Amino acid sequence: MKVLLVDDSNSIAMVVGQMLKEVGHEVLRAKHGLDAVDILKQHADVDCILLDWNMPEMDGLEFLQHNKEHNVASCPIIMMTTENKPEKIVLALQNGAREYIMKPFTQDILVSKINSVTEGAA
Amino acid sequence: MIEKHVYDFFAKFVFEKTGIFYPEKDYYRLDSRINKLITQYECKDANDVYTKFTTSRDADMEQFLINICTNNETYFFRDDKPFKALVDDMIPSLQAEFPGKSLNLWSCASSTGQEAVSVIISILEKFGNSVPFSFDASDISTDALTKAKGGIYTNLDVQRGLPITLLVKYFESVNNGDWKAKPEVSSKVRFFEFNLFDKLFPTNKYHIIFCRNVLIYQNSENKAQILEKLAQALVPGGFLVLGAGESLIGTGVNLNQVTLSGFMVFQRPGLKSNVA
Repeated sequence: MKVLLVDDSNSIAMVVGQMLKEVGHEVLRAKHGLDAVDILKQHADVDCILLDWNMPEMDGLEFLQHNKEHNVASCPIIMMTTENKPEKIVLALQNGAREYIMKPFTQDILVSKINSVTEGAA
Repeated sequence: MIEKHVYDFFAKFVFEKTGIFYPEKDYYRLDSRINKLITQYECKDANDVYTKFTTSRDADMEQFLINICTNNETYFFRDDKPFKALVDDMIPSLQAEFPGKSLNLWSCASSTGQEAVSVIISILEKFGNSVPFSFDASDISTDALTKAKGGIYTNLDVQRGLPITLLVKYFESVNNGDWKAKPEVSSKVRFFEFNLFDKLFPTNKYHIIFCRNVLIYQNSENKAQILEKLAQALVPGGFLVLGAGESLIGTGVNLNQVTLSGFMVFQRPGLKSNVA
């Protein structure tokens, strides 16, 4: 499975990338929403996006809103963020996120959330 | 170095209280438990705690040992299929069999409560408030029950098995990062301490009993004893839900095996219209 990780933190990218590679996923990295838009133009076969909320250039919510208008990603999007207030979660879901991972999390949680949104996908 | 008679004593005590069996080859699994007892009761070593336990223990000390010997591993919607079978098959079947009656449910090894909460959410999602039911949830571990009764789950707890849409629907954010089941869920369950080896056992009471991942820790004699009592606790036509991989094999207990929504459950005979 090809996973696009959108997060400006190099340390998060390293840890999450390692978690995903350990279970056999291929990982692409974008440092913010605009970067993700560019990468998705070249990689239409991404199976799942892990999206941080607070990032420079284009943040996670802006990416979701951009995607609603321009359909840059057809795969499921999982928010992966320290934002853990119910109103923030609801806002992300209303704007197209399919699941939501609150930092900190474990590898089991990460993998099961990805599986839950990609099950049944071709 | 823990002496064999100390291992023998604690293994026997834990077995008699909980049915959890430590054969001699697994005595090393008692090490961490005995060490916790030593720390908790400020003893010098294993011999010291053995002496204290055998000569002057109180109910709290016994319960402390029981709490640290029980496995409280659980998570929301564990194994998934039982919850689908519950709302798609068991409840409709019971409603047809017992029209207008409130259904009695029991999670008899509820640990910290995630199973009970998952059952209640499943029912609310499928039926709203149209299915009257009461829900008993019990465990032998008072530590687990304290958490279950508090109803507060950590960030990590709620991310294990609980879809995010159900989290925001049925939980409220508390204590900056923790989550508490809303009253529409928490008010529907009653948690209490209960040992499956108790002599006083309910009979002909429950329409559905969840007893998952308990029997795997029991020897065949205890397994048969627990299953026999659970079967009697069911009303005729009631369902027993065991863990994936647990079965009645070798116990001789009189329950019918039925497969509902691809999941195997066990139904007490006695109704003309049993699913089996």
